[in-house]
Amino acid sequence: MIEKREALAKMFSAKGSKINTNRGAEYYDSLMETMKKRLNELEQTAAASKMSITSVLEAEGLDRRDFMKWASAACAALMLPASFTPLIAQAAELMNRVPVIWIELQDCAGNSEAILRSDAPTIDELILETISLEFNETLMAAAGHQAEEHLEEAMHTFKGKYLCVVEGSIPLGMDGLYGTIGAKAETFKDHLLRVAKDSAAVVAVGTCATFGGVPAASPNPTGAVGVQDVVKGKAIINIPACPANPANITGTILHFVLTGQVPELDHLNRPKFAFGYRIHDNCERRAHFDAGEFVEEWGDKGAQNNFCLYKMGCKGPMTFNNCSIVRYNSGTNWPIGAGHGCIGCSEPQFWDKYAQERPMADTHFKAPGGGVEKTVDEFGLGLLTAAGIGIGIHAAASVLAGKKEGDE
Amino acid sequence: MSYKKVQRMTGAMRINHWVVAISMIVAIVTGLYIGHPYYQSFIADPAVDKYVMAWNRLAHLIVAIIFDVSSIVVAYLYFFSRFEKPYKKLIPTFTNIKEFFDVLVNLITLNRVKKFDSSHADSFNAIFFFVFHMLLVWMLLTGLQMYVHGLASGMSSIGEWWPAMLHLATDWTVTVTGGTFMDVRISHHYTMYAIIAWIMFHVYYQVWRTIFWKEGDINIVVGGNKFIEE
Repeated sequence: MIEKREALAKMFSAKGSKINTNRGAEYYDSLMETMKKRLNELEQTAAASKMSITSVLEAEGLDRRDFMKWASAACAALMLPASFTPLIAQAAELMNRVPVIWIELQDCAGNSEAILRSDAPTIDELILETISLEFNETLMAAAGHQAEEHLEEAMHTFKGKYLCVVEGSIPLGMDGLYGTIGAKAETFKDHLLRVAKDSAAVVAVGTCATFGGVPAASPNPTGAVGVQDVVKGKAIINIPACPANPANITGTILHFVLTGQVPELDHLNRPKFAFGYRIHDNCERRAHFDAGEFVEEWGDKGAQNNFCLYKMGCKGPMTFNNCSIVRYNSGTNWPIGAGHGCIGCSEPQFWDKYAQERPMADTHFKAPGGGVEKTVDEFGLGLLTAAGIGIGIHAAASVLAGKKEGDE
Repeated sequence: MSYKKVQRMTGAMRINHWVVAISMIVAIVTGLYIGHPYYQSFIADPAVDKYVMAWNRLAHLIVAIIFDVSSIVVAYLYFFSRFEKPYKKLIPTFTNIKEFFDVLVNLITLNRVKKFDSSHADSFNAIFFFVFHMLLVWMLLTGLQMYVHGLASGMSSIGEWWPAMLHLATDWTVTVTGGTFMDVRISHHYTMYAIIAWIMFHVYYQVWRTIFWKEGDINIVVGGNKFIEE
């Protein structure tokens, strides 16, 4: 009963993706006061990590000017007025005050890899090096009991202060036994609940952690779900995409450092600064969409001329993300720039409903749990045929009946 | 044998009918293109000279608006028409339920049994049209939900109230259809097929009535009246 009522309330209070980029001087003045106060408090606390952004930048051969350029870009990305740039820079310097516990569940570590493996790291990525990463399976030297001990210690020391970053989905099938961790075979679900319990906020990174992602794709053998389906009563920030863009992870953590709060979220708990706009509306190939110029086949003339990829299955028109603006790998490129359509990886159920290399209404892909457009079209055509046959039979019967009556 | 002329649709009602009919055809033709662009633009032309998808989208959205506004007019007429008030035929009273089944029996017995007064709008057709208007409302809600995705900035040429209102009025369709924007689109696509099937039956049934009842029913939507045997 309560569940039903909750579902009903949720249905009618679903927030859209509307974003407000100008909230007026009063709002920004008070926000700046809050942030200044918060940063001053943070400055008083001891640095949890010895890394500082200045030393990291120096090691990479970047100067203060590069850093300030990044700060103004990050300020714009967070949809704040330019006057907030010094605060952003200060917050980046104080990043080493924020303890982070990064746990991995049913995942491929792709989000960690996306940050770690770039050969020319951006400042976004470098900042993630300076956060006080207390626990991370991929990076840490410790293993086994030592790692377990370390986790306990970190959770105890930074109780209520640390950010719990989660990568990977949570298998709920077979009582969660599809994924266990540690010597006591703790299930991923229990592991997540234990770490999330004492955290300041939970950041779900990547589509698996946010919506279940690929493991949750039909037929979802492990019963995989996202963090928000398991953790209740905690601030949860979803940063989907496969992999999540380091700029968005940094932006969210920056926002947390600045305000101690989660950024404004959309109806899927995604920060609006990153997921407020549609890929389609900022796509470099958009003019070709409007012109009706489409790639018809991989490698055809249209593909050589960078035509719109809509007919090759691009799902940009219904995907909200900033990759068309921020791009990946130091702004080098992004999927559509490289000639492949968007697969909607930052949307829920993307593997079943978005990721086909076919136009919206013409997919030949059928997921084991039921196809999408193809099913729609076949069903529709079937319905029309049935209606046509019905009408035909009725008409023929009517004519025959009329003849009989005439004979009599 | 003499016939009495019965007025069934006023001039305004008939114009409305044909506006809706033409809008529907345009909406289906352009909607199918938007879902899967089924013809190609001239590749040699530079992009600035062709605007094919945009024209299709423009036509689709314009007819949708015409459609919606005319449906609002029809909805008003359901209750306040000075001519025939269709809502009176929708209330499940004994007379209406009986009439509904009498007309249905007439259809499935191929006009062997006809136990109702066919001079006025009957309950069967009233309910059938009501189904159509419900399908249209659903198309309106899902269509506007997809439309507002392009107004992510919260602004529009006619003011901020418009996207705000669209979010307020249509965001629940995402939850109802299955939680993703794709589900809204699929639902919009499905409903189109339901509407095409509806049109097929509607046209067939009106022609069938004209042929079998021999009361000139098809003229209702052209000349505005039909004839009843006296």
